[in-house]
Amino acid sequence: MDNKLKLDIYKKIILSRRLEEKIAELIKAGQVGGYMHPGVGQETLQVAAIATLRPGDYMLYAHRGVAYWVARGIPIEKVLCDLAGREGGTNHGKGGVMHVVYPELGVLGQSGTLGGCFPIAAGAGLSIKVKHEDKVVLCFFGDGTSNRGTFHESLNFCAVRKLPVVFLCENNGWAVSTSTEKSTAVKDIADRRHGYAMPGKTFDGNDVEQVFDAVSEAVKHARAGNGPSLLEAKTYRLWGHWIGDPDSYRSREEVEKHWRRDPIPIYERKLMDEKVLVESAKAEIDADARAQIDRALEFMQNQPSPNPESALDGLYA
Amino acid sequence: MRTITYAQAIKEALEEEMRRDPSVVLYGEDVANFGGIFQITSGLQEQFGEDRVFDTPISENALVGAAVGAAITGLRPVVELQFADFLFTTGDEIVLKAGMWRYVHGGAYKVPMVVRCPSGAAGVGPEHGQCPEAFFMHSPGLRIVSPSTPADAKGLLKSAIRDDNPVLYFEHKLLYATKGEVPEDPDFLVPLGKAAVRREGDALTLVAISAMVPKALKVAERLAKEGHHIEVIDPRSLNPFDRPAIIESVKKTGKIVVAEESYKTLGVGAEIGAMLMEEALEYLDRPLKRVAMPDVPIPTAAVLEQFVIPNEEKIYAACRELLA
Repeated sequence: MDNKLKLDIYKKIILSRRLEEKIAELIKAGQVGGYMHPGVGQETLQVAAIATLRPGDYMLYAHRGVAYWVARGIPIEKVLCDLAGREGGTNHGKGGVMHVVYPELGVLGQSGTLGGCFPIAAGAGLSIKVKHEDKVVLCFFGDGTSNRGTFHESLNFCAVRKLPVVFLCENNGWAVSTSTEKSTAVKDIADRRHGYAMPGKTFDGNDVEQVFDAVSEAVKHARAGNGPSLLEAKTYRLWGHWIGDPDSYRSREEVEKHWRRDPIPIYERKLMDEKVLVESAKAEIDADARAQIDRALEFMQNQPSPNPESALDGLYA
Repeated sequence: MRTITYAQAIKEALEEEMRRDPSVVLYGEDVANFGGIFQITSGLQEQFGEDRVFDTPISENALVGAAVGAAITGLRPVVELQFADFLFTTGDEIVLKAGMWRYVHGGAYKVPMVVRCPSGAAGVGPEHGQCPEAFFMHSPGLRIVSPSTPADAKGLLKSAIRDDNPVLYFEHKLLYATKGEVPEDPDFLVPLGKAAVRREGDALTLVAISAMVPKALKVAERLAKEGHHIEVIDPRSLNPFDRPAIIESVKKTGKIVVAEESYKTLGVGAEIGAMLMEEALEYLDRPLKRVAMPDVPIPTAAVLEQFVIPNEEKIYAACRELLA
C-alpha cells in the first residue's frame, strides 16, 4: 500500500463515519424515514476491501452502512436521496437505501432478504467466466447471513464451477440481537471453506493492512481463474442493528470495550506515526467531509419526491 | 410443413437461440451429460461446449439466483428445473429476486432469463405433478407462459429467451410426446401475451390452459356433433394476459368455462372470473364455471389422480350445464 492509497482510504473512512452520524441525526429528528442499518465500526474494513477492486469489477454490499458506496465512488447525495425516498438518487424511491445501485461502478444492488446475495454473486461470476472477462465479484455478508442455505449452495456452486467470486464475511459478533456463539456452530466462519475446498482465512477486520492484503490475495486468485475464496474479517458492530435499535441485548461493558478498539482512531494513529497524516491535514479532511455532506444534504433537500404514479412504472423492461 | 413433437420443438428453440446469441447459456440438474430427465437437452453440451451448457449441483436457490446475477451482468440464462414444483424451493429467488430486482433498483437492470418448469400431473404425486402457474401470476415482475402445441412450445420459448424480463416457461409433461406442425424458420416467434383461438364458435367460450387445450378441443368436437358450436381459447401466456381476447369472445357467446390444472381457489379461472366481473359482466348471461383441481394435494395412485384432474367428462359436463 502506498501513501496515496492509505490516505485515500482514510478520507473515505472519515466521510463514511461523518455521513452515518449525519444520517442518524436526520432519522432521530424525524427528518427522513426509512430503515438504515449503520456500519459504524466496520467502515475501515469495507473501504480497505473495496480498495482492492478495479473499475470493472462487481460488488455486492451487505446491509451495513454507507462505506461500501463511498468507497466505490457513488456520489453521497444520491445515497441521501435514496434514504429520503426522493428523486436524484439511484432508484427513484423504489428501493430506498436498502437497494442503492450503480451499474457504472459494478454495484449490482442488494438483496433485501439476507443471503439472497450469494446466488446473485455466483451468477455475476458465471457471466465473467462465460464471457472470458478480466473481472471479479466481491460479495460482502455478515456472520448471521452465513447460516442461510443459499450460502452453502452458492459457495459449492462457485467452487465446482471455479467462479471468480470473493466471499468476504464481516463477522461483527451479532445478528440483530443474537450473538454468533448462539447462532453459529463454528467459531470462525472462514472454517467453512473446508466444506467447499476453497482457500481463505480469518483476520483482524479492524486492521486496514490485514484486510487489504487478504482481499488482494483472494482477488488475485480469482482473477487468475483459480476460483472463489472465503474470507472472514473479525470486527464489531459499534451501533445497534438499525438506527433506533434500543440495543438492550448487549452489555454496555462489551460495547464500551469495543469502542476502545474503534478502528478509525487506531488507523489515524498509525498514519500519523508513519507521517502519512499530519494534524493539520486531519482537520482539513474532517472539514472537507462535513462540507461534502452539507452540500449533499442541500442537494437532497432540493430534490422532489417521485411522482406518486411512478409507483406503477419500471416493473418490466 | 414438417411435424415434430412438443419435446423436439423445445429443443429446437434452445438450439436455435443458442446458435443465434452467444450470451444464451443453459444449465440445470442433469441437463448436460444425461440430456435432462426428460431428455430435452441431449447433445446440447456437445454442440455448445461446457461453458454454455452444464450440469449443476442440486441447488435450486443457487441455480435460479445465479440466473438473476448472470442476467444483470449480460447473459441470457435458461435454467431447467426438473419439476415445476421445485419453484417452491426457490421462492425468494423467483419472487423477490427475479421478479423484483429491476423494480427495486429503479430500473437500473434488465433481467432476461428463462426458467423451464416441467409441469402437470403424470402419476408422480403432489411434489412432482403440479401446474403452479397461478401462484406466480400473483407475483409482480414475472412473465408466465404455458404452451399447449409444439409450434407454440417453440415460438414461445424463443420469444421468452429474447425477452428482457424473467419468464417462467411451463412445459407440460404429458404434452412432450404430442405432435404438430412447427415452422423451421429460425425467426419464427410467438409473441408473449397473445391468446390463440383454437376453434371458433358462438355458443360458449371455453378457455383452456396447457394440457387442457387438447381435451377442450375434443369436448368442442363432441358438442359440435350435438349442435353447439363453442369457441376454444388458449391464452398461451398468463402474464402478460390477453384480456381482450377473452372479453371479445364472451361478448359473442355470453357464457364461459375455464379449464385448468391449477387448484380452484385463486386459480387462473378465479382471476378470469374477477376480471369479467369488473370488465364484462353485462355480456355474461350465465355464471362462469371453473373446471379445476380441487384444493387437495395431487394424490399419487392413478385412480385417485384421475379423480381430481380435470378431464374431458368434467369439462363437457360444465359446458352442457351452461348450454342447457
